[in-house]
Amino acid sequence: MMPVQLHTSKLRLALERQARHTGRKLRKNHPHAVSFLEKRGIVPGKLREHAARIATTGALAGAMLLTQPIAQQVRSATSAIAQMTTEQLQQKLTSELVSVLPKEMSLLTPTQEQQIANIVQTLWGVRAVPELDGERLNRSYGFIGAEQHLPRFPGDSVDQHDGFQRSGITPGLGAWGYFAPSKQMLTQDLIEKEKWYVAVQTLYLPDWNTRFRYLRDWYKYRKVLVINPTNGKTVAAVVADAGPANWTGKHYGGSPEVMAYLGLNVGMQKGAVVLFFVDDANNEIPLGPVEYNFKLR
Amino acid sequence: MAQLFYDHLIVIEEITAVLDEHTLTKEERAELLRLIDQTLHHEILDTIFTHLPKEHHETFLTRFHIAPHDAKLLEFLQEATSVDIEGEIFKTANRVKRHALSTIAKAKKETK
Repeated sequence: MMPVQLHTSKLRLALERQARHTGRKLRKNHPHAVSFLEKRGIVPGKLREHAARIATTGALAGAMLLTQPIAQQVRSATSAIAQMTTEQLQQKLTSELVSVLPKEMSLLTPTQEQQIANIVQTLWGVRAVPELDGERLNRSYGFIGAEQHLPRFPGDSVDQHDGFQRSGITPGLGAWGYFAPSKQMLTQDLIEKEKWYVAVQTLYLPDWNTRFRYLRDWYKYRKVLVINPTNGKTVAAVVADAGPANWTGKHYGGSPEVMAYLGLNVGMQKGAVVLFFVDDANNEIPLGPVEYNFKLR
Repeated sequence: MAQLFYDHLIVIEEITAVLDEHTLTKEERAELLRLIDQTLHHEILDTIFTHLPKEHHETFLTRFHIAPHDAKLLEFLQEATSVDIEGEIFKTANRVKRHALSTIAKAKKETK
């Protein structure tokens, strides 16, 4: 008898499809319940992580009760964050991420991703998640490389962009085409989107070809949070291009503005970043640098 | 200690046993089990909210959010639903398990 092996990538893909399908079914059948959980930072498919957090918090709370009431503890922690300067918040973010991120570049585990989401929520008041609406990129931590400006409308040229003109402009269009059909129709919102854009590897998503129409629309201008863990600089951006190719050794691309803010527009113009989706249905988080806690402002 | 109040109704040892027949890295094994776990939670929550009358949804969600391990949640569901909810959750978990096992079987390939 021939030995039997498991086709793990095929199995993973099939199980991912089942998880996504059942997640969508739950959302469709009981949207109020999913919304209740998500508003409290609980992903329905990751109840076990929430339960584990509760167990940890319970143990911690038990210990803290001996010294100080919980509410007071929470208030003092919140108040301390509210009083921090941008630099202090960035330093704290860096020191907390160091203890979570792997020493070598690799995929994050679900636990690491959850820990990072909690840190970001606490420090920046932003709900940033590796998976949103059941969609996720192949990685949430990777190398970002410098991109050029994107043409925003037919006839756009690099000298019409506000800054970083030396970065140049791509000869072709971004993966989602022009931002506006003409210069007259280019709004301030679209200008900001080009300024703060990232490229992500949608082309390598396992279901990109089979769910192309849905995913194309879902990813267009999808808001993300990009964090440079070495300096804590964080920027809110949108997905406006696809790439880079795997052979480049990079996993994301950043607009000239994104790379400059993150402090990665020097040397090799490449660096490790955390890239999570921003759960911001009401569009409350503006694009650009994140420099204060949105919940405590 | 159980992390979720319905953990005792989920028996996935059969799945882990089938996976362990193959040479998987620790990460691969964990990832596959994580995906099956996700499907289980989606389907179990769907079962609960399908049988639980709408007026009890918020109470259940609030209690579940605060103490997902609390065994009294099952008592609450048993009182508030008109079906054998424990049996329904068990059936759902079994259905997901069978589906997962069939998916695993389809992903097997013979090698020379």
